[in-house]
Amino acid sequence: MTVFWFLIREGFKGLIRSKYAGAFSVIIIAISLILVGFGYVASRDTLFLVENIRAQFDVDIFLHKTASSEEIDNFAALLDSMTEVRNVHYISPENAAVKFKKEFGEDIFDILDYNPLPPSFTISLKPIYRNLVSVESIASILSNKPVVDEVKYRKQFLILLEKYQRIVLITVMAVFAFLALLSIILTSNSIKMTIFARRELISTMKLVGATNNFVRWPFIIEGTLQGFIGSCLASLFIYGIFYFLNNYLQTVIEYKAIVSFRFYIGIVISGSLLGLIGSRRAIRKFLK
Amino acid sequence: MISFINVNCTFGKKAGVKNINFSVNGGEFIFLTGPSGAGKSTILRLIYMDLFPEKGKVIIRNYNSNNIRDREIPYLRRKVGMVFQDFRLLPDRNVYQNVALSLYVSHYKTSEIKKRVYGVLNQVGLGHRVHYRPSELSGGEQQRVAIARALVKEPVVILADEPTGNLDPRVSIDLMSLLNKINKKGTAIIVATHNYSLIQRIPGARLIQIDEGEIVNIT
Repeated sequence: MTVFWFLIREGFKGLIRSKYAGAFSVIIIAISLILVGFGYVASRDTLFLVENIRAQFDVDIFLHKTASSEEIDNFAALLDSMTEVRNVHYISPENAAVKFKKEFGEDIFDILDYNPLPPSFTISLKPIYRNLVSVESIASILSNKPVVDEVKYRKQFLILLEKYQRIVLITVMAVFAFLALLSIILTSNSIKMTIFARRELISTMKLVGATNNFVRWPFIIEGTLQGFIGSCLASLFIYGIFYFLNNYLQTVIEYKAIVSFRFYIGIVISGSLLGLIGSRRAIRKFLK
Repeated sequence: MISFINVNCTFGKKAGVKNINFSVNGGEFIFLTGPSGAGKSTILRLIYMDLFPEKGKVIIRNYNSNNIRDREIPYLRRKVGMVFQDFRLLPDRNVYQNVALSLYVSHYKTSEIKKRVYGVLNQVGLGHRVHYRPSELSGGEQQRVAIARALVKEPVVILADEPTGNLDPRVSIDLMSLLNKINKKGTAIIVATHNYSLIQRIPGARLIQIDEGEIVNIT
């Protein structure tokens, strides 16, 4: 037990003894995690935004004006049974006329004497089928049904969305990966500097007969503590920025960052792990 | 206790040692002498296995340089005390903590550590300097702390590499008397020095003279 407490105590004291090098390390970890934290939220919300745009994608199916109610019911049942379809919404000619009035401000009966609007369905697809290939194949199947007059969807919108989503996804992933890598390199190097500043302690411990494990543990504890403190600072900073953004900048920008408590826990765990792994890697070099 | 058998250890073009053969018995006092760069420090480093021979072998009690495993080296070093010219004390720890470190690494209990550290500090005449930092001590006192750190683990041998190199003559003489006292209690001492006047202070000590990496004389 004496050794256990000695190592724990050494780890904590090391944080104080390392002075500026230790403080520098904590700041570097905090900055790295702030970058990664903001990078994560920005990536998540960008992807969410793109997915939201995609979710608004619908397919309109216009039936022949002459379709009987039985044919319409059968077609509705067919749509309901399709695995690709998430929601089916039927628009009767009467409802279409109401919708027309709402959208164009004129009654269709004032323009024409009869209602030319056909019965139609608006379907939304399940997320995995909201792509050009699936939509084209669904549209072609439905177009071939005798009751169907026309299938309409925003093909150009889908083409553009697919093109830009790929660019957005790659950019977001690349930026996030770069930030994560940067944080690992910065953290590892700053911890290495902290340890390098106390190589004298390592060589003395080895000279008096310390095993590698004995030398290693105080530095690992110290590195983990640096990571923990750095990540707490990063969490506080990110919380402060989001609080300011959500409470004082709502009139300027239409964006609300919603971040759960789990996000901050994630930052603290990542920071502590970064410190632990960074110090473990850094000390290895000095034990050879 | 310590045997060098046909040991060669060189570092490229830099100096090293060649064909070294000698033995040290328990409780002996030995001076390794010779000019700077003769290979004295190399011999000491071979004993605490900071270096390994290219040829031949070094045997310290049960440990053989040819087949010792990396993880066994710390256990060897717990049996060997080391004192250096530059003291190698940790500046951010007080005297007690510097000496106690030797025992913490050997997994001693706190009560035992306390007892031994106070005992050894009294033995080297530093009982009143327990809470001082190295920077608050004189050179002679710092070297005494280093000796206490080496002695506290009750080693079979203390290796001292130019222990008086940074000290004035009067303090050097005191320090040699201290090492002599420790030796009288049964600990073997090996001192590497080029200061011949110190050698005369320890009558009965064996002398190993080295020049250009080779032993030129053993008494």
